[in-house]
Amino acid sequence: MKRLGAIAVWTLVAIGGALALGKIALFRGEVINATWFVIAAVCCFLVAYRLYSAFISAKLLALDDTRATPAERLDDGRDFVPTNKWVLFGHHFAAIAGPGPLVGPTLAAQFGYLPGTLWLIAGSAFAGCVQDFIILFCSIRRDGKTLGEMARDEVSKRGGFIAQIAVLAIMIILLGVVALVIVNALKSSPWATFTLAMTIPIALLLGVYLRFLRPGRVMEASAIGVALVLFVVVAGQWVADSPAWAKVFTLSGVVLAFAIMAYGFAASALPVWLLLAPRDYLSAFIKAGAIFSLAAGILIVRPDVHMPALTKFVDGTGPVFAGKIFPFCFITIACGAISGFHSLISSGTTPKMIQREGHARFIGYGAMLLESFVGVMAMVAACAMQPGVFFAINSPPAIVGAAGDAATATISSWGYTVDAATMTNLAHAVGEQTLFNRTGGAPSLAVGMAQIFSHTIGGERLLSIWYHFAIMFEALFILTVLDAGTRVGRFMVQELAGRVWKPAGRTAWMPGIFFSSAVIVGAWGYFLYQGVVDPLGGINSLWPLFGIANQLLAAVALVVATTILMKMGKLRWIWVTLIPTAWLVTITMTASWQKIFDPSPRMGFLAAAKAMTAQLAAGKIPAAKIAETQRLIFNQRLDAVVTVALAGMVLVLLVEALIQWSAILSERRAAVLHEAPYVATRWAAGAEGD
Amino acid sequence: MKGATVGPFERAKQAIARLWLGMREWCGDAAYDRYLKAHAKHQGGAAALSREDFYVEQLQRRYSRVSRCC
Repeated sequence: MKRLGAIAVWTLVAIGGALALGKIALFRGEVINATWFVIAAVCCFLVAYRLYSAFISAKLLALDDTRATPAERLDDGRDFVPTNKWVLFGHHFAAIAGPGPLVGPTLAAQFGYLPGTLWLIAGSAFAGCVQDFIILFCSIRRDGKTLGEMARDEVSKRGGFIAQIAVLAIMIILLGVVALVIVNALKSSPWATFTLAMTIPIALLLGVYLRFLRPGRVMEASAIGVALVLFVVVAGQWVADSPAWAKVFTLSGVVLAFAIMAYGFAASALPVWLLLAPRDYLSAFIKAGAIFSLAAGILIVRPDVHMPALTKFVDGTGPVFAGKIFPFCFITIACGAISGFHSLISSGTTPKMIQREGHARFIGYGAMLLESFVGVMAMVAACAMQPGVFFAINSPPAIVGAAGDAATATISSWGYTVDAATMTNLAHAVGEQTLFNRTGGAPSLAVGMAQIFSHTIGGERLLSIWYHFAIMFEALFILTVLDAGTRVGRFMVQELAGRVWKPAGRTAWMPGIFFSSAVIVGAWGYFLYQGVVDPLGGINSLWPLFGIANQLLAAVALVVATTILMKMGKLRWIWVTLIPTAWLVTITMTASWQKIFDPSPRMGFLAAAKAMTAQLAAGKIPAAKIAETQRLIFNQRLDAVVTVALAGMVLVLLVEALIQWSAILSERRAAVLHEAPYVATRWAAGAEGD
Repeated sequence: MKGATVGPFERAKQAIARLWLGMREWCGDAAYDRYLKAHAKHQGGAAALSREDFYVEQLQRRYSRVSRCC
């Protein structure tokens, strides 16, 4: 009877999901309510978790709760700590949830709400969650080894080295691009710049508090920090209203770029307890609060979605970024559906803290579903504004024009009506001088979030506060990725440098710290700078590069997972990882090819370089702009080389894996797994590990 | 008192206590207590780190590997 009841409930959930998905897919009217998106996502994710993840757990991985996990066997109270599954879910989610699932879906709204929403739901269920879950499982079985170590042990030594280099290269691009999102959000905005700048002394204060006054009391320090951050969000308005102070905090893109580079260097070189860790604590609390509030706000306000299901820009002529719906919708959504970077978390801290193998399903698969739900909410927030407003905010001046009237005329000519007065009023309502050409996704997401929040609390009166709260939340989020990433990048550079000259590898040697920090900041800073000076706003070239890099890393993770499953003798179910691998290789290679060789200068790096070279040769560039144009030509060529290098590394790893797979399948080589030996758990079923 | 009926007030109190414990573990407040427990179990007579030293050492380790995603 109980079983029949469960079947009935799950049937209803599945029918609810199918109906909601059908509604958003087939609706072609003026507006559709956001509730349908929430129902579709929640029902589909519940069914995916209940059925698909259970299938993977039972048939593919055969999770074994009688087997002691590394946290039990190697418990040292430091790295290996058996942790309650709900707490670990929180840790894991806080680690994987970054700005990607917020910014990616916002940018992909250029194609309309439908393609992005479908990929967020299907991509996470069949690819992103599968990757996170299986890599977590593989790492648990190998005492918490990293993705690079598993690639070396299970694929080949060369594969491991390539994976390590790929991670470093991808991290550099990633940091440059997320930094560009902050610069675009803070440019010419004294309120937002002041608020974010003030988080630095707040973090320093917390660092001293946690180190000397109340060591390790994170919760009370964070409570003080959050209160101070909320205060500076409000105080930012006073700064913006004061002509003298507003001038101090009104900064150009280039100045902001150098300020962020200086911050990244300081966060990498200073003691970790002083700046990096306290900022991370602040960010974690604000992140959890803002995501929960956005979900609650959408459920309470139930906004109408004004963006059409599909826009005319599916043909690749969109103003936000160039590229057709295939493959660029998938590349742009990136982390909301599948993120290669998650495989580094799933093979990092989490496997060392998991109490039982069975928890891997809830933590690995479940946390990614939640991340994808955040992506769906970002899509709703972006699509809830009028399409004309969305395009006015996200289009660069080189496409629509810098002047308000020119921009609105261009956007209205596409069929998305907007007028300059609407944009001016909206900018004033959110406390900004202008909202035209604010590319990068963060400002439009902040407008969407502020509209939802202000409908819940405060109305129009608090719109500007909510907008700057949202900007601060996004920027804080991104700075946390930036400083933690720079520090990890510094260690990677030191490790590589140490192979050439031993002292350079010593992580506590000050000259080595400064040198490696400068190398890593210089590398991502270069991409940031080229984005800031790019006449198309940078996002057009760099976000796709970021998406390609991220999805290539996911392909690396899935290749490693497929190899391990093959060695486990799970050939019958190998399609579970093989299909997403094939899909990712297809979209990343197609996107790489198009970004390098497409004949359109807006799309192809080489075509853009060629077009500018021709203009230079024809004497069409004014003398004052010649040096800048030469730099732009160099940047386009550099982007092409970087894309070739990234795609090349993944292809080499793929060939390595294919050789390995062929040898295993033809039984020329024994399928040797590098798992830790089985040890029976000492914990009774259902007992806590402590 | 196994088997005794637990009232709604008591149940709410237990739930709040569990939530509080979970929060402390999530944000890292309970990390030092965890470490001391593990140390007592595995390290025999060796001296444990002080709270201050443990805090700094833990941060050094956490932020030397990928701990935050994009």
